[in-house]
Amino acid sequence: MEILSFEETRKILLKYKLPFCRTEIFNSKDKALIFAKQIGFPVVLKVHAQKIFHKSEVGGVKVNIKDEEEFVSSWNQIEKNIQGKNIEGILVQEMVSGSEIALGMKRDQQFGPVLMFGLGGIFIEIIKDVAFRIAPINTEEAIEMIKETKGFEILNGARGKKKVDLAGIAEMIVNLSNLSFKEEKVQSIDFNPVMVTDKQALITDFRIII
Amino acid sequence: MKRIFNPKSIALIGASEEPGTVGFGLSRNILEGKDLRKIYFINPKREEVFGLKCFESILDIKEKIDLAIVAVPSKIVKDIIIECGEKKVGGVIIVSSGFKEAGNIREEEEIREITQKYKIPLIGPNCLGIINPSINLNASFAPITPKKGNIAFLSQSGALLDSVVDRNSLGFSKIVSYGNEAGLDLADFIDYLKTDIETKVISIYFEGVKDGRKFMRIASEVSKIKPIIAIKSGRSDKGKEAAGTHTGTLVGDYNVYKTAMKQSGVILVDTLEELFDTSLTLSSLPKCENGIGIVTNGGGLGVLTVDYCSELGINIPNLSKTTLSLLEKSKAMEKVVSKNNPLDVLGDALADRYAVGIESLLRDKDINGLIIISTPQLMTEHEKNAKIIVELRNKYPLKPIVCCFLGGQSVESAIKYLELNQIPNYTDVKRAVKSINGLIKR
Repeated sequence: MEILSFEETRKILLKYKLPFCRTEIFNSKDKALIFAKQIGFPVVLKVHAQKIFHKSEVGGVKVNIKDEEEFVSSWNQIEKNIQGKNIEGILVQEMVSGSEIALGMKRDQQFGPVLMFGLGGIFIEIIKDVAFRIAPINTEEAIEMIKETKGFEILNGARGKKKVDLAGIAEMIVNLSNLSFKEEKVQSIDFNPVMVTDKQALITDFRIII
Repeated sequence: MKRIFNPKSIALIGASEEPGTVGFGLSRNILEGKDLRKIYFINPKREEVFGLKCFESILDIKEKIDLAIVAVPSKIVKDIIIECGEKKVGGVIIVSSGFKEAGNIREEEEIREITQKYKIPLIGPNCLGIINPSINLNASFAPITPKKGNIAFLSQSGALLDSVVDRNSLGFSKIVSYGNEAGLDLADFIDYLKTDIETKVISIYFEGVKDGRKFMRIASEVSKIKPIIAIKSGRSDKGKEAAGTHTGTLVGDYNVYKTAMKQSGVILVDTLEELFDTSLTLSSLPKCENGIGIVTNGGGLGVLTVDYCSELGINIPNLSKTTLSLLEKSKAMEKVVSKNNPLDVLGDALADRYAVGIESLLRDKDINGLIIISTPQLMTEHEKNAKIIVELRNKYPLKPIVCCFLGGQSVESAIKYLELNQIPNYTDVKRAVKSINGLIKR
């Protein structure tokens, strides 16, 4: 069991039309900084490695990095935290805002790929408010799945909040379903969080396990 | 499978009359149908069993054999199955245990290969057998033969099946204890029952399925034609995955099953009681639109019933003007001040008041089904009430009625009468509500 490399992950996400935030992988701080400036602060740094399954727990994640100075210190800090560990590189990502949702897949021995949808943050961590389907599913079933969660009303504009792009989420679930169904070596997937606004749904954290 | 469930000839290998043995139970049960089909006992160690001559081998029988039942020690099963193959039997049930469930995977695989080679459908091993009550076929070692009816029950557990056939309120079309599924699996039986005219409802107890995707494909198809109700054991997650993804830990075995059942149109229930309550209502009562009436002689139970209904989204419509004026005009209803739904006919209600109440509600166009509650008051006329309910059900056959006659000995015969007439009675209003809920078209 290992995490798919960033390059492979990128290929698979593009192939199945799963949109993710601007992300590049670096081993050199200087090159990484150039990219960060290019996409504009604030940015996020995350370690990417075959065997690091919980990046935050090893101190491999820094978010909301506002300027060059903070970037350098964050980079150094991550390098220190993961010293001695075998890594592929450090990801530089744009900071995306929106409501957090989570998508996932686990391949079940009996039934094949099981898809999961839930609201991010405490909804998934503590309340475990999630819906499941066995792949493959179509758009209609994906919408039904979203509506099944208790947190759906929050996405749907409860308490004066802006209604998010539900069609975009549904499309993402269907694409995840296709991916899971066709890429048999993939054992499980976490897209958590996916940031959704009224206009789009964008994956900001991905973990594909083979 | 038709030959297995409707055999014209049966061979039992391992027949015995020694009380307490599996062979004894099987011999005794199979003999129940001795006037309806040919029965052959095989046991090289015995001259005869229950007065029937024993053969040394199935190959010594000249006539054709539709169904062979094997109840011999596991180590000789293989040889017996080869003989069954040579005999070209229509199907075989291996009752013997000591295979996959005991860690003997290779032995089970060998048997599967032999039956496949001879193209013989196989049930088991490690099972109780099958029962087809409508033709008095009990090819199992269950303690009794249940009543015939229209519920098919498929069970991975044999012992559980025993306890089910012992309930005399249920009638069955087919009963299968399918054991280790070395040959025919759960999905194959569901597929067979799809076109079985005696089966209206398929009821299942299972621990796991052999081929998840095959199960989903077949169950999705059959559930469109007949309700499938299931209970699954082994829900607690033993080993949550070590590291891996978050999704992995959230999915859990039971959630996968819940999802698979839902996507296949299978009604998954929590308790055995619910399994049989739902099977009974779906097999004996008509489906209806939302909108349920309640008639009760106890106000409190009426309110409790309304609570349960609202939890499940069941509408309790107000009575129409026509119904209200009908109730107003009735002499029997004089004492009943508050005429509404639930209709509280009061504790001192005699049968005449129940009759007027029930019929008025059944005539109401917004009321599509009825829950009738009766608590045993000093004057309550249980038997008369039961008779009235059956008469009115016959008069309004499209509106399902479920009853909740509460009490002990005093209501026993009334309940028996209701059940005899396919009107289910429950000892708790919640069960009655859940059952009628299963009938509402949504």
